[in-house]
Amino acid sequence: MTSWQAIRLVMGREIRERSRSGAFIVSVAITLLLVAAVLFLPLIFADDDVRYEVGVVGDGSQVVIDAAVALANPPGREVRTTIEVVAFATREAAEAAADAEEVDGVLMDGREIVVRGAGGEAGGALESLLQRGARSVQIESLVASGAGEVVDILTSQPLEVRSLSGADAEENSERSVIAFGGLMLLYMAVLLYGSLILSGVTEEKTNRVVEVLLAAFEPWQLLAGKILGIGLLGLCQFVGTVVIALVGINLTGVIDLPEFPVDSILVLVLWFILGYSLFAVMFGAAGALVSRAEDAQTVVAPISLVAVAGFFIAIQAVSNPTSTLSVVTTFIPPTAPFVAPVRFAFQAIPLWQMAVSVALMILTVVLMTRLAGRVYLGGLLRFGSRVGIREAFRTAEL
Amino acid sequence: MLELSRLSKRYGEVQALDECSFRVERGRMLGFLGPNGAGKTTAMRSVFNLVSLDEGTVTWRGRPVGQAERMRFGYMPEQRGLYPKMRIGKQLVYLGRIHGMTTADATAAAERWLEELGLGDRTGDPLEKLSHGNQQRVQLAAALIHDPELLVLDEPFSGLDPFGVETMSEILRSRAAEGAAVVFSSHQLDMVEDLCQDVAIIHQGRVVMGGEVRQLKMDSPYWVIEVEMRGGDTERLSRLESVVSVDFDGYRHRIVARKGGDLSDLVSRLDLGGDVRHFTFSAPSLSELFKEAVAG
Repeated sequence: MTSWQAIRLVMGREIRERSRSGAFIVSVAITLLLVAAVLFLPLIFADDDVRYEVGVVGDGSQVVIDAAVALANPPGREVRTTIEVVAFATREAAEAAADAEEVDGVLMDGREIVVRGAGGEAGGALESLLQRGARSVQIESLVASGAGEVVDILTSQPLEVRSLSGADAEENSERSVIAFGGLMLLYMAVLLYGSLILSGVTEEKTNRVVEVLLAAFEPWQLLAGKILGIGLLGLCQFVGTVVIALVGINLTGVIDLPEFPVDSILVLVLWFILGYSLFAVMFGAAGALVSRAEDAQTVVAPISLVAVAGFFIAIQAVSNPTSTLSVVTTFIPPTAPFVAPVRFAFQAIPLWQMAVSVALMILTVVLMTRLAGRVYLGGLLRFGSRVGIREAFRTAEL
Repeated sequence: MLELSRLSKRYGEVQALDECSFRVERGRMLGFLGPNGAGKTTAMRSVFNLVSLDEGTVTWRGRPVGQAERMRFGYMPEQRGLYPKMRIGKQLVYLGRIHGMTTADATAAAERWLEELGLGDRTGDPLEKLSHGNQQRVQLAAALIHDPELLVLDEPFSGLDPFGVETMSEILRSRAAEGAAVVFSSHQLDMVEDLCQDVAIIHQGRVVMGGEVRQLKMDSPYWVIEVEMRGGDTERLSRLESVVSVDFDGYRHRIVARKGGDLSDLVSRLDLGGDVRHFTFSAPSLSELFKEAVAG
């Protein structure tokens, strides 16, 4: 049997058994529910088209209403506002209709607004809308020019925005979306799948099946198969969720998706794989040191702490991608997967730093896998109390 | 043939194995004996490379044992355990496949073994739903699923009821009869004497006695005489020259005597008198050999 066949067997079992376990199905269902909630809740609470009924008395009201409608519906706005005009013959009749809530308000000769009471958001919104309409009519009459131009002035952003970093503002925001998104994904994956690997390893040790497995496999094959299996399953879950989310976003149009720069995404994927591998190996080795799930927290704490530190240093790097801290942590393998992609996203990492950092990372993953294999064998066959790392090493000097 | 040759392993202050050597022949069964903590489990684990030895080699048919060789070995560790939530059929197929079987072969073998062990209708049940005895049967099937050429079993009889012991003995006998090399550790010396052609007795990491059981008995420097007689005097018997020990169980005297000279000479010195109802002469039992080896 080749190593790859052995790894594939372990991987296959992990995927098959885990995907039919209750806990996994529940976690998939919860993720999908969350995605659905994020996508569809805004739709439920989204503004519907706004429709007012306004009573008018006398002349001069129609121009104000036309201007208000034009201001409320600038080009590109999805929610439409319409005002329906109800003409009344007398002030009294109009006021009575307003009092009876048959209309939302009354416009008297284009000069006066009558609303039912002081409160109510709808009343306030209508009032301010009509005020703006009236204002534009006044400006119009002052400059004696076309109403369309006034509307343009009032709805546009006359000052142009320019960024000093060279990249245009829009691309910069897309890069920070990727940096943040990638950071969150890696952080979640490390903690979520790291703990799955930990419990998977501890479980095999607790139920003692591990000795039968190690009689056939090399320890590193077992560890690698486990990490790849759980990683692959997690990746499928992630990709599935993202695809469903993207399809949902396309269907509902809740969020405007920016166009992501391809290089940033590739770098993110590379670092995701490297970061996941390193932490997975560390969690696997930690799992081999304990016999009971209760002891797991003690050995995991330092690893989780490193991940948390990496996460916060990377957040710092978002605003300060070239600070000394950001540069130094780029070369420290456990923090590099968090910091390096952020710096890359902001184009604040020289190529040589990236290359050295990736090389260091790969070297560390290879070394850690070998070390973990030793700790794994030494730790797995010691049952009972927690095994010290040094003791595990001594037990299995390979 | 499995050969363990001069294995040494030290854990801190403890010398677990100290130039431990023995061999297991194909078609034969070897009982691996020793007091608790003598190094049995460490020696058995070293066959599967679960222990990194300080010294010594393990060879199978003259070649060092690697992953390819271990594919043909079956192992039942002292610490029993399989996946509790995995269905037993799937579980056995998986264990067959990790020993290099195809899925089809492993499936057929799993069905055959479960049928033979009376679990044919439980294939789809997770292990944890089975009774303790039935879980033990699955564990045995797990060691046998790939038809191994070498079986290494660490305390296979512990925790079994008499029926389980019977099943286990039958299966081990038939595996050896079909040409497999079988080695198992046990504290039940009578059963080992019954089942095994060969033994190795380990004490403080070192094999202090080993070889064919019959030969070991013949080579023993002691004779054992069991006699039932009227008015036997334990005191008098134990004072006789060359008598090592005398035990009296209320009916019979069991006399262990150092070999030397003629047997009839010893018998005449015993001076049994007239009323002898039972007299047997034999080599020492395995448990006497064991005590002798471990005490010496």
